[in-house]
Amino acid sequence: MSGGYRQQPGKSSAKRRDGKRVAGQQKFPPPGSGGSNPVMEPRDLNFIPESVGGKEPQPAGSHIHDRIRTGTVVGKPLQLVDSNAKVTGQAWYGDDIRLTNETIGKILRSPHHYAKIISIDTTRVEALPGVISVATGQDAPNRFGVLPVTKDEHAMSVEKVRHMGDLVACVCAETEAIAIEALALFDIEWEILEPVFDRKKGLEDVDEPIHWRGKYHLSRTNVQKRVFQEFGDRSLIENPHAASHGKWSMEGVHHGFTEPHAVVAHWDPNGRLQLYTPQQVPHYTHRALSTVLEVPMHQINVVRTFVGGGFGGKSDPFPHEMCAAILSRKSGRPVRITFDREEVYWINRGRHPSDIEVKMTADDAGRISGFDIDALIDGGGFASFGHVTSYYNGVLATAPYELGSFHYTGARVWTNKPASGAMRGHGAVNTRCAVEVGLDEMAEQMQVDPIDLRLANLLPPHSRTITGFRITSNGMREALEKVREGSDWDNKFRKLPLGKGIGVGCGFFISGSGLPIHWDPNRFPHATVHIQVDMDGGVTVHTGAADIGQGSTTAVAQVVAEVLALPIEMIHVRSHESDTSPVDLGSYSSRVTFMNANAAIRAALEIREQILNAAWDMLGYHPNTLVLNDRRIYYKHDPSIGVSYLQALHKAQEDKGALIASGAYRSPPMGGVHKGAAAGLAPAYSFSSYVAEVDVDVELGLVKCTNVWAAHDCGKALNPLAVKGQIIGSCHMGLGQVLSEKMVYGRTGHLQNANLLEYKIPSIHEMPHVEPIIIESCDPEGPFGAKEAGEGPLLPILPAVVNAVYDAIGVRFRDLPLTPDVVFKGIEKKRKSLKLEDSLDLPSPRLEYGPMQEPLVLRAAEHKVRDKARQRTEDTSHYVNGVLFGFDPNIPLEDQVDGWKMATEPDPEQLAELGLAGKAWLKKTQREMGDDA
Amino acid sequence: MLMPPFTLHHPSSIQEAISIASNIIADGETFDWVAGGTDVLPNYKWRINPKPHVISLANIPEAKQLSPYDIGCMTPLSQLTEVNGMHPLIVEAAGKIASSLIRKSATVGGNLCLDTRCFWYNQSEDWRRSIDWCHKADCGTGADCRVIPNQNTLCVATYQGDLAPNFMALGATITLISPDGERVIPLHDFYQLDGMKKNILKQGEFLLKVTLPSNAFELTGSYQKLRVRESWDFPEAGIAITWKKGDYKSLKIASTALESIPKLHHEQVDSINAEGWSKNESIMELAGLVRKSVKPVNNTSLPPNYRRSVVRVLTKRALKNIGCE
Repeated sequence: MSGGYRQQPGKSSAKRRDGKRVAGQQKFPPPGSGGSNPVMEPRDLNFIPESVGGKEPQPAGSHIHDRIRTGTVVGKPLQLVDSNAKVTGQAWYGDDIRLTNETIGKILRSPHHYAKIISIDTTRVEALPGVISVATGQDAPNRFGVLPVTKDEHAMSVEKVRHMGDLVACVCAETEAIAIEALALFDIEWEILEPVFDRKKGLEDVDEPIHWRGKYHLSRTNVQKRVFQEFGDRSLIENPHAASHGKWSMEGVHHGFTEPHAVVAHWDPNGRLQLYTPQQVPHYTHRALSTVLEVPMHQINVVRTFVGGGFGGKSDPFPHEMCAAILSRKSGRPVRITFDREEVYWINRGRHPSDIEVKMTADDAGRISGFDIDALIDGGGFASFGHVTSYYNGVLATAPYELGSFHYTGARVWTNKPASGAMRGHGAVNTRCAVEVGLDEMAEQMQVDPIDLRLANLLPPHSRTITGFRITSNGMREALEKVREGSDWDNKFRKLPLGKGIGVGCGFFISGSGLPIHWDPNRFPHATVHIQVDMDGGVTVHTGAADIGQGSTTAVAQVVAEVLALPIEMIHVRSHESDTSPVDLGSYSSRVTFMNANAAIRAALEIREQILNAAWDMLGYHPNTLVLNDRRIYYKHDPSIGVSYLQALHKAQEDKGALIASGAYRSPPMGGVHKGAAAGLAPAYSFSSYVAEVDVDVELGLVKCTNVWAAHDCGKALNPLAVKGQIIGSCHMGLGQVLSEKMVYGRTGHLQNANLLEYKIPSIHEMPHVEPIIIESCDPEGPFGAKEAGEGPLLPILPAVVNAVYDAIGVRFRDLPLTPDVVFKGIEKKRKSLKLEDSLDLPSPRLEYGPMQEPLVLRAAEHKVRDKARQRTEDTSHYVNGVLFGFDPNIPLEDQVDGWKMATEPDPEQLAELGLAGKAWLKKTQREMGDDA
Repeated sequence: MLMPPFTLHHPSSIQEAISIASNIIADGETFDWVAGGTDVLPNYKWRINPKPHVISLANIPEAKQLSPYDIGCMTPLSQLTEVNGMHPLIVEAAGKIASSLIRKSATVGGNLCLDTRCFWYNQSEDWRRSIDWCHKADCGTGADCRVIPNQNTLCVATYQGDLAPNFMALGATITLISPDGERVIPLHDFYQLDGMKKNILKQGEFLLKVTLPSNAFELTGSYQKLRVRESWDFPEAGIAITWKKGDYKSLKIASTALESIPKLHHEQVDSINAEGWSKNESIMELAGLVRKSVKPVNNTSLPPNYRRSVVRVLTKRALKNIGCE
């Protein structure tokens, strides 16, 4: 290397063994030449797939990305790239932003559940010394919402407040104390309206519905969304061999993230808005700010701070973000607003409180002939993601099973409570629990092992679910087998003494939502990533993906490092500012790794090509014969013929300076055409299966989960350490919902436990030993085969625990959470029904195999062979839900069976027999009512 | 969360503390004592009955005394350990309070003088305003109790301290200091039945120390605490039992978290003793009597009928634990 840019070698010291880091002293990788280590590290064949000559086993077959694997970082357990900032307290969260001359904003919240605002007088507020600016709903009356179809929120209430804690006005002042004092000086005239708290009452006509949807409004009810779906052959459910019917009541739960919401807004000297917020979905905030403030998006820079936990609770554009911007625009000074924990609960967006009814049947061949689900979900005061949740409660409950028929009615109602929204496992968690417990109950009636029942009814890889979702890779069977083995299931199930129990549950979740909410996927990509490489060899990756602690920044750095064969320390991810990031839809629906890493791979490949071409120029060997490894490019048959990464890079830069590349991800066309077909559609699905072991204190009703074997099919673990973290974290969150967490609304409709003492998130003492088991089914479209691992692992823990409690004490519970009083009541009821003196004399459930056990085991064994062939794509024949019932997958099902239905609205004769939520279909829309309205 | 402003006083002797208190009272103002602050300060943040003055006991040497028999009010709960020679029952009970972090700040005095709790009361100011306040923090409105409606004479907020029943079962006495001097009373006389007043502390008086009787270490005890989580949570019900092994007459049972005060269950023990003991049957009968003698109300996390039901189980377990058969 001569005459060009000289790379500074940098200082490298002897490696410290005490784990401490000293600024400027840590060893970092030289960029390729001139460094202190002139010897290339050998390729790590253990992390290069078999299909391209490495030693990494590929039981699920090869992958299109195999040939770009370099054995650098993919598949290795790595610390997250932002972990140093977090553990040293240097990560900057929402409330860490301090701008010069800042003011403190506070929000006036509604003391009423439901009321019209007649007038707001701010005279006294403005007169208070130290108050800088005041704003009310009239300052920004434009509506916004996370989904374009349901924009029903305002920065502050315009006409009426819809729940206690709803935003009424806001004020910014020199100090927090003055701002708090100012809140007491608003003079407001209210007209109190009759609130609705009970979701069942939400189905009834009222004088003043919480929102009004004009001609689409359903009569005068508070129904926000109703769904009807019917698939399959309903005649199959007649004369069932086994049947389960459960009515569930599930309380609302909150994400319980550590960092309360916080925002800082500032209009810079050029009149552009700079907004700092811990957002999962900065792009939607960006859009909503533009709408509310009536400022074009290019005049707004949304800066995503570090996010102190999101779990879905920071994915809506929030009214307080608007408030900060409005106050800052008025005052000309930066405004910082930080929530108290109580305000966090008031903005909520947690899991919907739900009434769920599940009827299911199995035929005499042990096939699941029908799922019939009815879900009435309580949306609180606003729509949020509820339109989607209404679908997810049904459609995500079918797979991984092959069903004879599926019938779903769902309704989401508005009530005068804080809005429900998306939370880890969005919409799929509650019905999944009900369905898995139902399967357990049917297995008991059939006298078969519930794991065998499941194994004999799974959809294979590369198939279609009953509602038309395209399943690609599918590790469900392996997951079930692994937890069965790991937990010593066969020696424990129905064999443990009273109070000890073991239970199983499965899960199925989307890996990215197939349709971007705001645009046609055929016209604009889901995710875009830019990469820039300059003379120093460092790689800067620009992405809009929001790292909320799940490790998306690390994932993106890893895939780029892998493709370019560079140490991960040389990859710098810039993802905080909308000014510099390409548009990304954000962190929801478990889409980030799948979509964003795919986009990053494309961009990295472009850079790789430019560098290889330069090496071709220098070496004379075609790129197909060149190998990238550890900052070096060499001829594959003679490693001594090669150039350093930096030499090749400089050659590539000769004419154009820094290398720049852009990569994007678009989902393939898929799914059906029926109404709601897009809900639940994903380019890939994750599968999981857990076995949980519990100890039940039979006298007190206390349930303690002691062990969990948690198998999750994430396609390919790009970073096994992060995947395990997600599995264990999901277990913790799910355990909270099944055992202790609930949002308690008292008789007055007030949220009674809006604090972390009374909202009971499990502590370390409640955590079981979790054995994470990673299943790698190698998804054909995932980045290096990866699928999601952030949400799906939550689903199975709930039913696994409920089923384990049954195994322990023989009582089926259908009210969540299983707080000790609920369990105690169940035990007492059982004790009295058996006329026993002492609950310690309760019998434990036992299992003696019935005649169906053997055929199911045989079928499962046959299916295992089938699945393996399909997973490895040796068998590429069509497979759709229904083949198990004897149908030909090559002929449309409706052409084969008279009874095979696909409907999104009920027949008139069905109206009489609809469940609770289904009753919403008895109402007519204003448009249908015409003049009668 | 911002606390309302107050003046913090740091007396370094009992005398100084009393005189500061007397002066504040003479000025017609109010104050709170503070030890570890883990109870008072969260309430202040929620603006629950904050006072303009707060007097800290942290610098008073007598408040920090610690021996197996004399435990000063400023003793952090984390110091109630076997290493310090504490009674095993106190060690057990202290280890079940809140979390290990909180126990480093929280004190014995604070735990004994814990404010009573209620989910209509332990809420933010906005929240309480939206229910038009409650009897315990009525902000001058004369508001009704929200647990037992249509009355504003009785507060039924629940006492949820863990140490009190254990000290009571060990027969502890406490030393109270006021401008009128010092008084020493049995701990069980300290509490009085009302969630509002909670105890007999007079204006300007504070609890200096708790003292165990000389025979305390002859007593074996057990503390059974019902809670949803094994950390952080206040007791939803608690039963402490002691006895001198084999001596049924010496049985002492105390309960907490079931009413506005912790209480001793003498009568129930006496009535079983009068009948004479017959192993399991007596245990079940005594447990049943204790259950009947408490009347929890609906103002904590778990419903009152459940909390009442499990008193039987907790009593039974405590009795079995101490070897009472």
